Amino acid sequence: MTHRSVEVPVVARVEGEGALHVRVDDGVITRLELEIYEPPRFFEAFLAGRNVMEVPDIVARICGICPVAYQSTAMFGLERLFEVELPSGVEALRRLLYMAEWIESHMLHVHLLALPDFLGVDSAIELAQRGFKAEVERGLRLKRLGNELMAAIGGREIHPVNPRIGGFWRSPRRREVDAFVPRLEDAAREILDVADLVASLEVPVLTRDAELVAMVEEGRYPIDHGDVASTRGRRWRADEHEAVTRELHVEHSNALHSVMADTGEPYVVGPLARVVLNEAALTPVAREAKARLGLTLPTVDPFASMAARVVETALAIEEALRLIRAYEPPDPPHAGVVPRAGRATWTTEAPRGTIYHRYDVAADGTIVEAKIVPPTSQNLRHMEHDLREFLPSVLDRPDDELTRLAEMIVRNYDPCISCATHFLRVEIERGDEG
Amino acid sequence: MARVRVIGVGNPDAGDDAVGLLAARAVADRLEGLADVEVIEAGIGPRVVDLLREPGLEVAIVIDAVRTPGARRMPGSLIRTEVGLDGQPLEVGSAISSHGFGVAESVGLAAALGSPTRVIVHGVEAGEVRIGAPLHPSVRCALRPLVDAVVVDVEGALG
Repeated sequence: MTHRSVEVPVVARVEGEGALHVRVDDGVITRLELEIYEPPRFFEAFLAGRNVMEVPDIVARICGICPVAYQSTAMFGLERLFEVELPSGVEALRRLLYMAEWIESHMLHVHLLALPDFLGVDSAIELAQRGFKAEVERGLRLKRLGNELMAAIGGREIHPVNPRIGGFWRSPRRREVDAFVPRLEDAAREILDVADLVASLEVPVLTRDAELVAMVEEGRYPIDHGDVASTRGRRWRADEHEAVTRELHVEHSNALHSVMADTGEPYVVGPLARVVLNEAALTPVAREAKARLGLTLPTVDPFASMAARVVETALAIEEALRLIRAYEPPDPPHAGVVPRAGRATWTTEAPRGTIYHRYDVAADGTIVEAKIVPPTSQNLRHMEHDLREFLPSVLDRPDDELTRLAEMIVRNYDPCISCATHFLRVEIERGDEG
Repeated sequence: MARVRVIGVGNPDAGDDAVGLLAARAVADRLEGLADVEVIEAGIGPRVVDLLREPGLEVAIVIDAVRTPGARRMPGSLIRTEVGLDGQPLEVGSAISSHGFGVAESVGLAAALGSPTRVIVHGVEAGEVRIGAPLHPSVRCALRPLVDAVVVDVEGALG
């Protein structure tokens, strides 16, 4: 049989749609509603009545891109409640797993979403077709390095099964993680080339004020320990998160919107907030990347998020190298766990920003109530705010260009939405032209 | 290194979106012991682009829930399409988040990067894909013919 290509019918992967409704009357935006579905609400209900030991496996399934963030936050919070003493090396191994997730997630976003935007093409496919093949290949190689490191430690890369409350089911052998050293050393060089590429792009500027929020930790870049702080001088512990911030139901969205409880104002979490609040803890290659990017801190410009992701990828590569070189397999791989009644709270830094978990646990280890506040619901209100700030200056552009610019604003935040939610349907209603 | 790879894509907790994973599992059972074939449950999209680009991989068969735009088919309808070197990419959109980089994008990107692997996509028209939703009865019924069709393609690819 000879090989032939058949005509390809139009088939798209299933996607739930996000939606943005914009109404313009006499050149003024009179309605702007962003509707994005994010999945943790279902899982909160699903967790009630389950045993705490099942939590890491259940929350890993919330997201195919950032499962480690959900797992780590739950595990550290519950371990503190149960006063578990983690075996030596467990925290370092979890940090390594988390760094792998940052590398994978950031490189995916920078190469497959942000670069096409800022190079003015529709997709990474077009990018590859238009002379950027080598750059796309490099991005995929870096992303894949993160994926494979996650798989080596987590046992599986999409929804890691190795982490458990108390540590890991099995400690990876030294040679399993050592194998990543040469690739990470290459990556530490390649990320600077990525920085040069990003520095060469023309990126829009959005000048507006914002309160940036991220964790801070003495002496190192925050990932899974520390307090939460803001660029307006706030600082709080995980167990105060629900008092400092508040979640609002809004009529047009399934997702909840977070605001500061006292002012009712939105805030921003994510890579940019982390870099701004933790500049002093940046590692050498991350500093070099920042210099090459021309990233001047502090800044609150959301379009600087791509540069922040590149800086953080450099940091994650260096951290991963450091952790692997010092790696001693935890022995035993996990501590014994005895549940007790009480409330567990914790925050960590997911690739997309601060994530907060709370678990109310009964004496027998049953979850009574779970609360999960992912980065995206904390950023949603600010996405709307940015759109309101930015769109008036471009309202004279045609609808398709307006749609593209609106998408770019939202993409700055790389919302962690249901992995089945795909596109943004932008509806622009122009009352003054009817 | 396997010459043929079957890749199931989907979210196990999102209604009919689970069908690619369920089918891959069933295909793995049917092909157990067969050399040169591997079956992978890939979860979501962004990983697929790597899985399509392994040196030595001759044929990749992707199974996923799909939604055909325009005139919608009945849930459970099967679609088979082949993306050769000179074939057209599947319809892609402008993903709003890296969570949206899916199979169509991955297949298109692999082709644009010059992957020599022949790619066959088996799609199942999805009904509901909401988180927590059950599998649609018609989609469940489609599983057996879907698995049969994938096995035929695997056998064909192995010659």
